[in-house]
Amino acid sequence: MLRFVGRRLWEGTLTLAALVTLTFFVMRLAPGGPFSKNRKISPEVLEHIKAAFHLDEPVWQQFARYVWGLLHFDFGPSTRFRDYSVGDLIASGLPYSLTIGFWAIVVAAMVGVALGIAGALRRNTPTDYVAGILGVVGIAVPIFVIGPLFQVVFALKLNWLPVGGSDQGWRSLVMPVLVLSLPNIAYISRLTRGSMIETMRENYVRTARAKGIGARRTLMKHTLKGALLPVIAYLGPSTAGIITGSILIETVFAVPGIGRHFVDAALNRDYPLVMGITLLYGALLIVFNILTDLVRGWLDPRARGNG
Amino acid sequence: MTDSLLSVRDLQVKFRLPAGAMTAVDGVSFDVKPGEVLGIVGESGSGKSQILFSLMGLLASNGTARGTASFQGQDLLALGPMALDSIRGVTLSMIFQDPMTSLNPYMRIGDQLAEGLRVHKGLSKAEAWKAAVAMLDRVRIPDAARRARHYPHEFSGGMRQRVMIAMALLVRPALLLADEPTTALDVTIQAQVLDLMAELGREIGTAIILVTHDLGVVARLCDRVIVLYGGRVMEEGEAEVLFASPAHPYSQGLLAATPRLEDALTKRLGTIPGTPRSGGAMLPGCPFAPRCTLKIPICDATRPPLIAIAPERLVSCHLTGAT
Amino acid sequence: MVDITPRSLSTFQLQLRRFAQNRLAMISVALLALIAASCFFGPFAFPFTGEDADFDFIGAPIDLASPHPFGTDDFGRDLLLRVLEGGRISLAIGFLGAITAGFIGVLYGAVAGYAGGRTDRLMMRMVEILYGFPYVILVILLSLLFGGGNVALFAAIVFTLWLTPAVIVRAQAQSLSKREFVEAARAGGMTPWQIVLEHIVPNCASVVIVYGSLLVPEVILSESFLSFLGIGIKEPQASWGNLIQTGTAAMDTDLRLLLLPGILLALVLFCLNFIADGLRDAFDPNDR
Repeated sequence: MLRFVGRRLWEGTLTLAALVTLTFFVMRLAPGGPFSKNRKISPEVLEHIKAAFHLDEPVWQQFARYVWGLLHFDFGPSTRFRDYSVGDLIASGLPYSLTIGFWAIVVAAMVGVALGIAGALRRNTPTDYVAGILGVVGIAVPIFVIGPLFQVVFALKLNWLPVGGSDQGWRSLVMPVLVLSLPNIAYISRLTRGSMIETMRENYVRTARAKGIGARRTLMKHTLKGALLPVIAYLGPSTAGIITGSILIETVFAVPGIGRHFVDAALNRDYPLVMGITLLYGALLIVFNILTDLVRGWLDPRARGNG
Repeated sequence: MTDSLLSVRDLQVKFRLPAGAMTAVDGVSFDVKPGEVLGIVGESGSGKSQILFSLMGLLASNGTARGTASFQGQDLLALGPMALDSIRGVTLSMIFQDPMTSLNPYMRIGDQLAEGLRVHKGLSKAEAWKAAVAMLDRVRIPDAARRARHYPHEFSGGMRQRVMIAMALLVRPALLLADEPTTALDVTIQAQVLDLMAELGREIGTAIILVTHDLGVVARLCDRVIVLYGGRVMEEGEAEVLFASPAHPYSQGLLAATPRLEDALTKRLGTIPGTPRSGGAMLPGCPFAPRCTLKIPICDATRPPLIAIAPERLVSCHLTGAT
Repeated sequence: MVDITPRSLSTFQLQLRRFAQNRLAMISVALLALIAASCFFGPFAFPFTGEDADFDFIGAPIDLASPHPFGTDDFGRDLLLRVLEGGRISLAIGFLGAITAGFIGVLYGAVAGYAGGRTDRLMMRMVEILYGFPYVILVILLSLLFGGGNVALFAAIVFTLWLTPAVIVRAQAQSLSKREFVEAARAGGMTPWQIVLEHIVPNCASVVIVYGSLLVPEVILSESFLSFLGIGIKEPQASWGNLIQTGTAAMDTDLRLLLLPGILLALVLFCLNFIADGLRDAFDPNDR
């Protein structure tokens, strides 16, 4: 168990190291620099600024400096927001992103699993078809189309919810969370339905039925566990989808989260901020994948032995 | 035969398939007396397993069963799911063919055994667990108290089937349905597992329907035998009598195709020409006619009735009727 | 005696026939073909291009009688034409991207799976590391590296999407490499490359078709997503992503700018998903 976690953490660290290296050099090799858009700066001033950010040093020296900083949990200063460090910016944006992401996963898992089970139990009935249509819509209509449509309907026309921003408490959260959860509701409900139908055909479910313990208990104690394992396995990688989505969601709904920061930073060549957020995303992804594997191991006795 | 535990009359099992309706079991009738072991023998596709599934209400969703199956005064085929659940796993249990997949991989063995007792007999968790461990011990799982906490994948195939037997018999059912319980097992442990099942059945007083394609198994364990072909009963009788003098050409062929130790060096093993029909429309005549070496014209045209040639001895063949 | 055995069909023909019987998938194929044809050939019917501004019709509404049936945007550019031109880019990147990513993935996976041992472990470790990267981040970074523009976008998307086909094909190749006909080929003196190309890759075809069909919508979505964020295809060139972006900016006054590209994009994604579903049902033996 501990060995398993240890190995996964070590692998995760390797991945992060690769990520840092790749990101760092990609950013430096990309045409344009952090101050190339700013034409008003005189050459001397530019030299000064570059020196202040150590951009005048050779690339490998900059890299060494950056890694050295990382080892001390110092992500460096933002080149765009002069008065903030990358750590400050992430700390200010992260709560928004995490709140939206967390609720989106919760909503997606609950609604998706419920729809999938309902569809599998009532195959080829209206319930199944409605769930199926919702599944296809969620997968096929991108959130940057659904999001604005929601804004038009629920904010501009009906005036129920704010168009965007983050200043109205839970009311600001409703639309971003809902829209972000939609594609995941779709995936999870399809996955659950397929896996339920497969599990209901399993011999051990037939054994349970033969025991006469009742349909309800058969479902709760026998079918569900097997059927939900693939769904849980999906939740880890789905974090990546949530991250992707949150970048869009924060753009569409003008949420000051790290996704929006990231896009701005990438467009403005704010190297340290891009690096910092990339690292954070990578770490989140790794942590969630490890957590998923742990939960799976806990649920599936067969997976425990080979740690 | 009013003392029957189970009395099946004119059982028909049909499946709806894309190609049309398929009759798996076609008008089968038989009785099981308390405590006896009845063998149902047939090749794969003869519909023998479907008889058991229809009794348990476990037919696939495209299957329907007709006829009656009165078990302790209730017609199993007419019961709703709730009423059926007061019989399944209480007085009527079943053991399945494949022990590797028939146990829930996510549940401890002990919990799977205890479940039935807790639901049907209202035992507490601790009581049910104790009973489960005791039963595991009786099916000779070594170190049962510890093993009860293990999961199915930690058991071998033979052990798992013993666990299945323990689970089925733990509730002390009046009738146990066993669907080829040893087909998936290693030959060396087949006999062991079967003997254990028969022995425990005798102790508890459980009647057993043993479905198999293995005549040796039937000869050793069963009191009575039904030979099934193409979803119909070909012949029925006491095991000893039937094996000594099979009356139906199919039974004769089956017996000739069974290796016997004393003949091993001298005789060639017999075979039945052709392959069993599967699916399609029912033939108007005897289902075995296309493969029968003794066929006469009437065999293709009319179905031979099942007639008694001796007490407790039924045969469905035009030849036996004529002679 | 007359031979009455029906002409036997290859598995592939049977699978195609099964696919052709899927009505939803066939409707999707037809609709997709129609959309693609209008995107590729439609623009030639216009006497102007999508970048020409018509100063007499700035922000014109839908008017089927005018030279701009679906109206114009704030610069007086014909909306319908721009949406068609955008579709041309989106579809081209989608199909070319999926084919390229699929090609790289299949070859990589087939080599890793067939080679086995140390080569396989090394190659797969690299894939695992790349999998650990947040995918969008990678696309964004790469499209920055390649300096923006269509080719950059294309390269970035392909670079991130070849992983899944590689993993799938590698699993298939691994089991194939133990099969008798591959053993026979090896015994017959074929070189590893010949075996990979003539035995492994063709036998992965159905897996590749099923998963490849899922790649197309993924590529199109990635493209429009990046263009929506302003990182992909940039104005004045039109793409569905940046048209939708423009549409969102004006949605409180004029929904038309959002709806036309949005609906077309959604339609294409619907079709592609139905086609992928149909292919999976036809080619995947374990039906659901």
